[in-house]
Amino acid sequence: MSKLILNRRKLLTTAAASGVALASPAYLRRANAQGGEVNVWTYNDFVPEAFKEQFEAETGIRINVRLVDDQGKQFNLLAAEQPNPSVDIMTVAGHRFLQFIDSDLLAPLDTDRLSNWGNINPTFSESDWSTIQGEKWGAPILSGMEVLAYNTDYVSAEEALTWNTLFSEEYSGRTAYIIQDMMSIVMLMMGYDGNMVEYMDDPDKAAAIVEEAKNFLIEHKPLVRKYYDGGAEFQQMMVNQDIVLGHSWNGPAAALINDGFPLGMAIPNEGSYGFVYTYNIAKNCPNPDNAYTFLDAILASPEIGAAMTKASGFISTYKGASEYLTDLEKASTSFPDEQLANLQFFRAEANEMKYGLVDPAVEAIKAA
Amino acid sequence: MTYEASARKERGAAEKAPADRTFWGRLSAWAPYRALAAMATASPRRQFLILAIFPILWVLTQHLGPMLQMLRVSLTDAYPVAPGVEQHFTFDSYLRFFQDPLFWMPFFRTLIFAGVFTFCTLILTYPVAYFLARHVSRKNQMLFLLLLLIPFWVGEIVRTYAIMILLGNTGAVNLVLRWIGLIDRPIPFMYTSFSMGVGIVYLTALYMLLPLYSALEKLPKSMNEAAADLGAGAWTRFRRVTLPLTLEGISSGCTLVFLISTGFYATPVLLGGPSTTVFAETIAGFFHVAGDEWPTGAAFAVIMFLAALGISAAFQRLMSALRKGDTK
Amino acid sequence: MNRKNRIILSCVYWAFVAYVFVPLILMVLMGFKDSNFIGFPIRSYTLEWYTGVFDDAETISAFVYSVAIAVLSTVISILVGTWIAVLLEGRSFWGRAVVFGMTVLPALIPGIISAIAFRIYARYLGIEPGMGAIIWAHAVHNVPFVVLVVMARLSTLPKSQIEAARDLGADPLIAFLRITFPYLVPAIMGASIFCLLLSFDDFVRSFFLGGYEPTLPVLIFAKLKSGMSPEINAIATVALVLTAVIGVWAERFTRRMNKDS
Repeated sequence: MSKLILNRRKLLTTAAASGVALASPAYLRRANAQGGEVNVWTYNDFVPEAFKEQFEAETGIRINVRLVDDQGKQFNLLAAEQPNPSVDIMTVAGHRFLQFIDSDLLAPLDTDRLSNWGNINPTFSESDWSTIQGEKWGAPILSGMEVLAYNTDYVSAEEALTWNTLFSEEYSGRTAYIIQDMMSIVMLMMGYDGNMVEYMDDPDKAAAIVEEAKNFLIEHKPLVRKYYDGGAEFQQMMVNQDIVLGHSWNGPAAALINDGFPLGMAIPNEGSYGFVYTYNIAKNCPNPDNAYTFLDAILASPEIGAAMTKASGFISTYKGASEYLTDLEKASTSFPDEQLANLQFFRAEANEMKYGLVDPAVEAIKAA
Repeated sequence: MTYEASARKERGAAEKAPADRTFWGRLSAWAPYRALAAMATASPRRQFLILAIFPILWVLTQHLGPMLQMLRVSLTDAYPVAPGVEQHFTFDSYLRFFQDPLFWMPFFRTLIFAGVFTFCTLILTYPVAYFLARHVSRKNQMLFLLLLLIPFWVGEIVRTYAIMILLGNTGAVNLVLRWIGLIDRPIPFMYTSFSMGVGIVYLTALYMLLPLYSALEKLPKSMNEAAADLGAGAWTRFRRVTLPLTLEGISSGCTLVFLISTGFYATPVLLGGPSTTVFAETIAGFFHVAGDEWPTGAAFAVIMFLAALGISAAFQRLMSALRKGDTK
Repeated sequence: MNRKNRIILSCVYWAFVAYVFVPLILMVLMGFKDSNFIGFPIRSYTLEWYTGVFDDAETISAFVYSVAIAVLSTVISILVGTWIAVLLEGRSFWGRAVVFGMTVLPALIPGIISAIAFRIYARYLGIEPGMGAIIWAHAVHNVPFVVLVVMARLSTLPKSQIEAARDLGADPLIAFLRITFPYLVPAIMGASIFCLLLSFDDFVRSFFLGGYEPTLPVLIFAKLKSGMSPEINAIATVALVLTAVIGVWAERFTRRMNKDS
């Protein structure tokens, strides 16, 4: 069994070795060492080490990575630093764009300056959520989705095809979910638009829907083991068998599968939501030219995308990235087409109204 | 260097050499130093000013400054300010707490939890501190105390996850219980007030242990012996002698632990269950979501802080009344 | 003394030791697990996580960075805290209670609030985020603990000692350095350990005030994003052992210095 488990360190070494073998992209040689630095705020392993070394060697631009672990903290930090941020590139989840744009923290992306923009799968680069106010705001790098993950020793694949299983008496005390995310999904289960874009002109209806979803979750509160926040918590609950079934993002679930844990995941029939991590350029950033050089370089090869997937468990947005994955990694980062058809992206247009209603509802559910 | 050793050395040095040969002697004989010292100590008033000016400046700028900034944020309607938006003075953020009963539940829960956990910490650590101060030889006391401090070097998060694999369904405790044959299904310890308590007492024990230990250590042994000579039993001696004399340590330990435990965030979030949301979580929520919620978060923090401070003050007053009552 | 009480008490003490150490032992054990996640059952063991810590330049530099921050901020806290304690102990003056209240304030503010308040204030003062800012925040946060510990010790200093020194012609500064300070050394040692511990362990303040170099807790938080792995446990264990070794060595070193001088 341990033979099958490639631990993260081994993975990274292989990735590093293959990264060196990879012919360096042509544009890098053309950009004669311009020097300076580029400051990046991102999650651990989102800038692959092999890429970083090659980029620094060829361009003379030093990459300073500041590790973040949460979107909210990143927002706070940037807000506290404005109007003269220290950051060039940051990592924002696509559906949180609007919050950053409304607070005037991001610069629109000039895709003409990115010769490798075309390397991104158009599903992500040209999707409706990615264009706001007629501008592109970030380069998609990894894609995630809300899935129903289950311990295959206890739960069958059929049961995982509906979100209702999560609320069944049978698994009472052995389930967990992120409550904010679950609000959107419950709305979807009830046949409403969880993005709430449809109800932007009808605040009363929106309020009624959120109320309904809230009451549903309060009613089923006795059945849930834990409202959690982070992927690591979910993984630990699964490993400890505190839960056998739960809502999760695909990344943390895939990491468990790749470790040999008997976990399955599904996008249930009622549907689910996807989101995309993007690299964005901060408004008034200190090194805009280097930021574009960095973005173009990191989009250059599907192998870089594959390295990010290996590290995070999220699905690469690069065309052809899956060719560089092992079979197990491929399996843990792909879904049957009929399940993918149920997926839609989170959208930000109605966020102000939506979270104005959902945040108090979440407080109420926790307090109930 | 211990005080006693240095005092001995001083005496030795004084016998061997005239005062002006030592470093201190030379220093106090050095003219510029003498002029400076004479100027500084010209009057008690000036001496006091020189002593006081730096600490007062420090606490005003460094300790009060950040708090005042936060108070200011809590009284505005927008922070951080987006360009082109005007900031207004308002009490809305404070009113929001009193108008919405939704926030009262986690607020009172936090105060109650903090009280209960403080009490548990006291009950757990008092015998430990007592044992250390009274039954361990002086030479070993420091060693035994340091032994207890080691685990606190490990980061809160790593330790919290260790508690998860201790108490989880396939955790160490359940494994052992099952191996002994006491249970055949795992007991769900995790994500309850119990697991939360286990984690929090871990965090607070240190703050309780130190004041208790120093209070007990000061206690003269002769007191107890005298009471014993008068025929008092162990329990009576404890209740009538030890306990009253350590009330001060108890009160400062409890105050510290209570105040600190109202602010815990990571541990209750990670170890608590669906019905154990604490107020720090509510406050943090305001800082994590959209930008215009900072003033609300700041205002709620101020409310929590004042409430905790008020309760601590009442508690301290009660304790000092108890102390006075006992000496009568 | 009665033996029964003593035995019961020592049982309680060792039970408490067990309670504090069992999670720690689990942490050390999990560092040997051949998997990406901690937890039971452990199917196979590996040394790779532990040996990997020493190959990981990022972790080592984060450790060194954290130690440097802890030491420097502790030095500042001790200096300032001792000064404040000397001012406050045994002296009554107008506004003493207010000064005391403000002194203990930073210790009483919840972590996240204090971090954000420091961040806002740092911007107001024009302090750039980075090592200096973290040291500043840690130093301010730790001063109250130093003051409390030093004041407690100071209150037991026999007044006659100082008076004797003054009678022999020592000015207040020399009296302080020769009599008071040596008497305070145990308290200052205790307070230092406490400050080092608080600084080394701090995440929120380091995160909000830090620059592009992570302290050890910030690095661990970032790594946690991809799961609580044995790697993190190995890092924490190695950090624990290293700090313990450095601590014991420093203690021995200062003791020897004192003997020699």
